[in-house]
Amino acid sequence: MKFTISKALMTVLILTGGILFANVQDTSSVLKKMDDVMYSPKDMTGINRIVLIDKNGKEEIREAIMQQKGTDKRMFRFTAPASQSGIAVLSLPNDVMYLYLPAFGKERRISTSVKSQNFAGTDFSYDDMGAETFSNEYTSKLLRTEANVFVLELRPKGRSDYSKIIVNVNKNNYYPELMEFYDKGNKKSKEAKYTFIKIGKYWNASEIEMTDLKKNHTTKMQMSNVKYDTGLTDDDFTVRKLKR
Amino acid sequence: MKRTNILLLLFLLVVVTGIASAQNENNLKISGELLTDERLLLNEKNDWAWNENRLTLQLDKRITDNSKFYSEVWLRNIGLPKITQSSDLYNKGIIDPYNIEIREAYIQLYGVLTKNLDVSIGRQRIVWGTADKLNPTDNLNPLDLEDILDFGRRRGSDAINLNYYIKNDFSLQGFFIPFFRPANMPVGIFSNALNSTMELPQGMILKEFSDTLLMPGYNLGESSTAGLKFKGFAKGVDFSASYVWGYDGLPFVTKNTFIPVDTLGGTNINSQLSFARTHIIGADLATSIAGIGFWAEAAAFIPENDVIMTNDLSAFYPMSPIPVTQDSLILDKTKPYLKFVIGCDYNFANGSYLNLQYMHGFIHERGNDNLNDYFFLRYEMNFAGGKLKVAPIGGGFIVTDWNNIKDNYALVYMPEIVYKATINSEISLSTVIFNGNGDNLFANLKDYNMFMFKLKYSF
Repeated sequence: MKFTISKALMTVLILTGGILFANVQDTSSVLKKMDDVMYSPKDMTGINRIVLIDKNGKEEIREAIMQQKGTDKRMFRFTAPASQSGIAVLSLPNDVMYLYLPAFGKERRISTSVKSQNFAGTDFSYDDMGAETFSNEYTSKLLRTEANVFVLELRPKGRSDYSKIIVNVNKNNYYPELMEFYDKGNKKSKEAKYTFIKIGKYWNASEIEMTDLKKNHTTKMQMSNVKYDTGLTDDDFTVRKLKR
Repeated sequence: MKRTNILLLLFLLVVVTGIASAQNENNLKISGELLTDERLLLNEKNDWAWNENRLTLQLDKRITDNSKFYSEVWLRNIGLPKITQSSDLYNKGIIDPYNIEIREAYIQLYGVLTKNLDVSIGRQRIVWGTADKLNPTDNLNPLDLEDILDFGRRRGSDAINLNYYIKNDFSLQGFFIPFFRPANMPVGIFSNALNSTMELPQGMILKEFSDTLLMPGYNLGESSTAGLKFKGFAKGVDFSASYVWGYDGLPFVTKNTFIPVDTLGGTNINSQLSFARTHIIGADLATSIAGIGFWAEAAAFIPENDVIMTNDLSAFYPMSPIPVTQDSLILDKTKPYLKFVIGCDYNFANGSYLNLQYMHGFIHERGNDNLNDYFFLRYEMNFAGGKLKVAPIGGGFIVTDWNNIKDNYALVYMPEIVYKATINSEISLSTVIFNGNGDNLFANLKDYNMFMFKLKYSF
């Protein structure tokens, strides 16, 4: 009898462990696939239209040219409005960031503390704008499966402004449809809705609508004229290019 | 035939559209800003201290994929009318003072001879240094001290500037400025801010003062400025080392001639001023540690020759067979003086920003004994999604003698509120309160506490 109980317990433990392992493996592979969808192009160039909408519905529009190579090199150059035209931000690996302000005529190294701040008045933080893969920065857990999406809970591996992110990943194409960001007090602080379209062989986030729930302020980032794999090199992500 | 015509028409359309689109990209872009800057003294009568309406025009044109033209021009109404006689009413320049200034106008060529070399030729601002606005290594362009509160402003220089990029993280810069141009001095109520006081011997009364400024000759050897800079990035640190063979843009008094004019001690003085050829060795770095941005910048100034001030008192001793003079050593060529800045900044999660800097040696100070210590602090807070910026703490603390701080210090308090009225315009309200004791730049301004209003519109 004892033997039977022990055997049964062992079987349950093995099965539970197996399920748990399968779950972890599955969610991490879902997250990895989501990263692949978001970051698989070698490089990208596009025009980014930023629509800021305040709590009264008043809109403010900004435009920038964005270039990205891999997951850790990005150049963002504002073209409108006039007050911001020419301002450029270069993000490089290991949290190295430069800001170019035409009025000063020189680049300026930005302290990494800026990462927790909003990027250029948007509802995206510099950290949100970073291109580091989610699977590198977060551990994942499957919360549930819905008709069209996997609902994952992401917990930061290192320092982060968020305690967790709940992400809805499209079951068929593995792009994120919705992300809910929770602050350190475990309260939902921001929400991002994604619209993806396919351009060539890649899925492109044609619009990301980020809402800051505390401020009741929304930012829409709309991408157009997107070109993938045009052969951008490391030379395109240098201080020399930033100042041009 | 019809089909051929349609194809030809389509081909032409494509070509013309292509050319039109290329032309659009290469069109001259005009942008700029309008700045209204009005300042009012906080004295009994609330005298106007500053009036400036500046239209900045920036012209930018891509010439080819590897070249561009850039120019920045200031069109200004500046100053208050100084009308003293009826004939002045016939002069519009006196009634409504204005000026035009070409700040920059240059051609930039990318990848000249080799893909790693960029060349800029023309009037340009060559900005050096990692510190915030106050840069001891930034000595290529002449100081523009017109507005003493606009620290670090410099004018463009006619120059050739070469940048050679070695891989992506290193570069070597060389430049040559053929014509020396001195600093321009403060105007309006600040016009005497940088003038040092002259102590006359007991019993001597100054009747008239005149001066003569000796400029370097306009030839290759005398008027040129040249230099080199090596810049790099390694292990998360941006750094550079530089050398400049140039001039100190502020003149030194090298001779005072004293002439007695009466028997009561009345004396006329003629001062002779000249510029000192100087070697400047500089270095800077910037990095970010634990989220805090750090920077340090230093420059050693080595005069090519000793700078000596001679007081010529011969006119007091007409019977003397030899000139009667007294020499004082102002700068010793064997004793370089070092100016430096260290600073840090931090961005808080709530959007506020803190900036701290310590500076040894302000822009106008020369010689080891004359360098003072400046501590600057600014804390900014953002509200209403960045529409409102408030800097409740801003200013500096200056010590000119650590052994007697009470009598040798200055305090500058500059709180500011900036409101972004529209997407392209902002209004700034600020005050400047000076306080202090002793003979130093900011303590000398304590009668000029002021309120400032600025409106900036970008287009």
